[in-house]
Amino acid sequence: MSRPAGREAFLAFSPVLNEIKEDEPILVDFEGVVAFSPSWGAEFLVPLAKKFSNRVAFLNTENPSVKATLELLKEIGEV
Amino acid sequence: MDGKDLISIGEASEILGVSIDTLRRWDKSGRFPAEKSVGGHRLYSKAKVGIYLKDLLALAKDWCVNETEIPEMFYCQNSGIFQARLKRMYDEIATVPALAPLSSLILAVTGEIGNNSFDHNIGNWPDVSGIFFGYDISRREIVLADRGIGVLASLKRVRSSLNTDEAALSVAFMEILSGRAPEDRGNGLKFVKKVITENPMGLVFQSGNTEVLLHKDDGSLHMKVAQNIIRGCLAQVTF
Repeated sequence: MSRPAGREAFLAFSPVLNEIKEDEPILVDFEGVVAFSPSWGAEFLVPLAKKFSNRVAFLNTENPSVKATLELLKEIGEV
Repeated sequence: MDGKDLISIGEASEILGVSIDTLRRWDKSGRFPAEKSVGGHRLYSKAKVGIYLKDLLALAKDWCVNETEIPEMFYCQNSGIFQARLKRMYDEIATVPALAPLSSLILAVTGEIGNNSFDHNIGNWPDVSGIFFGYDISRREIVLADRGIGVLASLKRVRSSLNTDEAALSVAFMEILSGRAPEDRGNGLKFVKKVITENPMGLVFQSGNTEVLLHKDDGSLHMKVAQNIIRGCLAQVTF
């Protein structure tokens, strides 16, 4: 949930992201997430959205904290 | 008082997580008075020790205002300890079926407030690093506090024109901060406001001389001058 954890996750995931093809969609699946917050999101989803813009889609966003975080990030134009 | 209820200063020190010397000081100053045995040894009522630990807001406020020692069980020296205790809190919340619809939001709000304390004070703690983090699920209360630089000093780095706690808190809870240089800023308190005002929850948040009050279905930011000034932040989440 923390900012450093989000940063670490993005760095760890970067090698995979570098191999993604130009037309490949990026699906972020929140299945099984217990809680989600903007700090983590700012470090993972925001750079992801910047890098892949409209190719990023979110799945299984029913968790209330996922929903609230995505709403806020969309509202401020971060994702 | 029932004699069976009395415990030694050593036992009280263990339960409270403060040193024996601290308890002696608290007795002398009247902050937490002891009983005396026939032989003159300090004894403590178990019930009183329990009540003392239940008043989370008073404990946290005392730590912020009077810089007193806090029981070990409430002190998270670093973010790792905070994350572990946050997980433990979530596990406790998960045992209360009535809280199921709110559990992820309670965890997210608590995480944002606590993580803010660490993120905005890293390398800058004026005296004691880390945060106070206490919760009582049966009383539906969570209290967090830090002795960091506070919201005004933190926001001044990105908005130098700010000069009151009230203005800084208004920006922190209401305004989207863009142009993040020179410091990466999150929108944690905006998220906290959104969640609190859209759910059956409440928040009292103080930094400096200003207190913010938030509750469900009221998007406006109610602010008032606090009774005591604190340098860092103090938050009470209710649900």
